[in-house]
Amino acid sequence: MTADTSLAPRLAVSAPRRLLRPGRVLGYLFLIALTAAMVFPLLWLVLTSLRPADDVFGAGLLPREISFDAYVRAWTQLDYPGHFLNSLGITLLTVLGVVALAALGGYSFAKLEFPFKEPIYVVLLVTLMLPATAIVVPLFLELRSLELLNTRQGLILVYIGTSLPFAMFLMRAFFETLPDELIQAARVDGCGEFAIFWRIMLPLARPGIATVVIFQFMHTWNEFLFAQTLLQTPSRHPLQPVLYSLVGEYSTDWTILAASLVMTIVPIVVVYVRMQRQFVAGLTLGAVKD
Amino acid sequence: MAVLTAPAQREQAPPARRGPAARRRTAGYLFILPIVVFFAFFVGYPLVRSLYLSLTQWSGYGRPKFVGLLNFSQLLGDPVFWQALRTTLIFTASTMILQTALPMLLAVFLHRGWKGSVVFRTLLFVPAVISLVVTGVLWQLMYDSKFGALNGVLRAFGLGGLAHDWLADPVTVIPALILVSVWQTLGLYLVIFLAGLQGIDPTLYEAARIDGAGGRQQFFHITVPMLRRVTSVVLVLNMMNGLKTFDLIFVMTGGGPNHGSEVLGTYLYGLAFGSGAGATPALGYATAISMVVLVLCMVGTVVQLRLSKRG
Repeated sequence: MTADTSLAPRLAVSAPRRLLRPGRVLGYLFLIALTAAMVFPLLWLVLTSLRPADDVFGAGLLPREISFDAYVRAWTQLDYPGHFLNSLGITLLTVLGVVALAALGGYSFAKLEFPFKEPIYVVLLVTLMLPATAIVVPLFLELRSLELLNTRQGLILVYIGTSLPFAMFLMRAFFETLPDELIQAARVDGCGEFAIFWRIMLPLARPGIATVVIFQFMHTWNEFLFAQTLLQTPSRHPLQPVLYSLVGEYSTDWTILAASLVMTIVPIVVVYVRMQRQFVAGLTLGAVKD
Repeated sequence: MAVLTAPAQREQAPPARRGPAARRRTAGYLFILPIVVFFAFFVGYPLVRSLYLSLTQWSGYGRPKFVGLLNFSQLLGDPVFWQALRTTLIFTASTMILQTALPMLLAVFLHRGWKGSVVFRTLLFVPAVISLVVTGVLWQLMYDSKFGALNGVLRAFGLGGLAHDWLADPVTVIPALILVSVWQTLGLYLVIFLAGLQGIDPTLYEAARIDGAGGRQQFFHITVPMLRRVTSVVLVLNMMNGLKTFDLIFVMTGGGPNHGSEVLGTYLYGLAFGSGAGATPALGYATAISMVVLVLCMVGTVVQLRLSKRG
């Protein structure tokens, strides 16, 4: 009875006057306030990076004058471009290796039959939750005895090795959605197993590959623990350990610190805004590992 | 590659007809071989070696000295270990609760399809694409006692009395780190919950409304139960990230002040790779702690799986 009376007016106003409902206005205010609070640290960072070096302790949120001096100094004094290229090179090679091997293996686990398939798969997957800190010491020792410690190649190999199980898991899931009939037809035509994978199945798995690429790119670009531990020569460092080392070294020069942070954040945010859908897909799936 | 191998295999095909299944089997093994080799080298063997090293005393040079369970019995009497364990568990429990409840509520909010909700979602997600190191350095600046923005905001609102060095105070350091973690992950878990909400049949809400259920009742009797799977995934992820937390704390405080924010990850890293100047690396002891982290993660996963299966 009471439900009826309360429902009637609500249904009546429906579409046109919705915006005026106080609940909705409050909701919007809450959302705007929350989003502003979330974005504020980033905005403040940008403003700090634009201050002249002597204005850091100046009062007020806005800098007295805008100066790109900190960016120039970060670019030249810190060899920012060099570290950026280190990050890019390490990340691209890792992504290439992971995608190639994970696609091959994922396809095999999804579409081919061979003895002990499931046990092998389970063993690979069990370590998904493995904390990096649990293997960083033996990895350090292993690279040292292989004389790969302190080399970018060593770091890339470690990245590929530790990332493969999860990427393979994603690729298997994608290949399983593809129909078996294509494979059978190709086999009847006498197509070899690798050719079936390479020419027929791989092109069809493109959306899956895109997701793995984005996820792996993010993960490798942002990785810190292994990069910090396995690369000791500062000039070989990718961006993450460099930014970490800046805190001690340049903590007196905050504008340079802020400028380097902005230069690190901007590329990944631009990529994210442009490829939002794939990013979100990669991260929501990828979150299982991270 | 493909161009070269494909014709060759095609020519072989007819005579080899007797064993297509065998050939498929070989292909299957060949295709997974690189993964297995990489895995064995960079995950499997290190893990086994960790297990062995945790039973030794070793500074990284010469031969490790086998000492049985000595490291583990030493852990029992190590006050820093207990402190780090406690902090790890507090951090994990707090982030599990906050980083599940807040994104869920926000997702319900945004799911109403209001105008501009895509813009809000995009902006809220931005911190999730930024690395933990960058996040850590950024928030170190934010929390700085002299000109950090947080104290600035407090002063602007006439709360200057509250301003202090957030990361140097053992009372505020953990809440300060938790806040950063919430900031960093809110967008990610929001998106996961939004995906979950999209999977709920809207007719359920219609039926509930006709039965006279209010917003709160709909939330507790439809949304929460229907989101159960997503919630358990988010809880597991938060638990894992909490138990193995390292980057953020290492960057922001290094475990300080005076072990005040030490977690198992930062403690073992310092022991192995020397945070204190001149300290001898204690690789055996450090790997023993890493085994504790590993066991915590395994136990946590099993408990979570049990709970979510029962549900």
